[in-house]
Amino acid sequence: MAKTSVSLEMLMQQALTGDKRAYADLLRDTAQFLRPYLSKRLSAASDVDDLLQEILVSIHKARHTYDGKRPYKPWVFAIAHFRLQDYLRTYYADQLRFASEIGELENTLPADVTNSDFSYESISGEVNQLPEKQAAILSLMHEEGYTAKEVAAKIGMKESAVKVAAFRAYKILREKLSK
Amino acid sequence: MDAMEKQIASLVADADSVQLAPSPLTLWLKWMGIAAAYIAVSLLFLGVRSDVLESMHNALFLAEMGLLIAIVITTALSASLLAYPDIYQRSRWTLAPIFMFVIFVGVIALAWQADNPPAPLPVHSYQCSLTIAVLALLPAAWMFYSMRQLASTHRRFAGVVTMLSAFSIGAITLRLSEQTNSIIHVIEWHYLPMVGVAWLGVWLGKQLLKW
Repeated sequence: MAKTSVSLEMLMQQALTGDKRAYADLLRDTAQFLRPYLSKRLSAASDVDDLLQEILVSIHKARHTYDGKRPYKPWVFAIAHFRLQDYLRTYYADQLRFASEIGELENTLPADVTNSDFSYESISGEVNQLPEKQAAILSLMHEEGYTAKEVAAKIGMKESAVKVAAFRAYKILREKLSK
Repeated sequence: MDAMEKQIASLVADADSVQLAPSPLTLWLKWMGIAAAYIAVSLLFLGVRSDVLESMHNALFLAEMGLLIAIVITTALSASLLAYPDIYQRSRWTLAPIFMFVIFVGVIALAWQADNPPAPLPVHSYQCSLTIAVLALLPAAWMFYSMRQLASTHRRFAGVVTMLSAFSIGAITLRLSEQTNSIIHVIEWHYLPMVGVAWLGVWLGKQLLKW
């Protein structure tokens, strides 16, 4: 363990003098020991990969703040923790926005469906002008009669995401048709 | 080649030898030197209060000035450490301003008690807060600029201590320049606004120390 730590510090010192090979080795080693740390905290493997790449960029940007006089790992983990917090903050802010959109959808969706004066066929022209994904969702739900859950499974989205996309599509259609 | 290897390759391609950042000690000493010079130059323009030597015989005034200087020293030290991603692995030192501030509040409370009968209030009021703010502008800008060259992972905390340091420099200058012994005035128009505005550092740090 101590050997690894020393070698990481040496690699960084060599990298700071412009040794590209040492730098590549260092980044690979760093990615290797950071991956389990991130995997414990993030569920999706793709998120781990994205964040790991972001952390490597941050290490690259901040490498002039490492002078080799202190252990390397605490320096790296400070950066990793900082980027992880940033990532989680953005993630939860998105979740919160998403939840409020779902809430809004649940309040308005039943009324929209029961009070609709239009059949799907009569507005299919407008539906086709919607963004591709929204149009596909409305088509599956209203032309082919799938539920939101079935649509989600069919096109590989979360059910809540399908509902939000449908809600946005209804909103656009309502605006268009009320003109 | 997977995405990670591509990323590493692109970073390596961009990696030439790097000019290392100054150590926190160097940064802090530089700031202290500049702060001392700045206070001296400001006092040349504003003038030193005529009773300054007499005031120096007042133990509470002396303690107040000493602690203001200690606040500048410790907040600047804290800011210089917080500019590093890992706080230069000396995180305990960043709490030093808190101890100084607690002692400072105690000294001010004693001075308030001792101000009996109260010294006459000066005719001016908010002008003092404005003067401190103007005097703090350059030190704050310089410190934030220096810290932007590094990579803080505690941007809000760094912002607060930087603002507190800069405003303390302004407060020292004004205290040595303005001829008033009214501690109520000093609390109301020097120190409370100074602490209040320092909290702007939470937002400023977040905005200015992005990297």
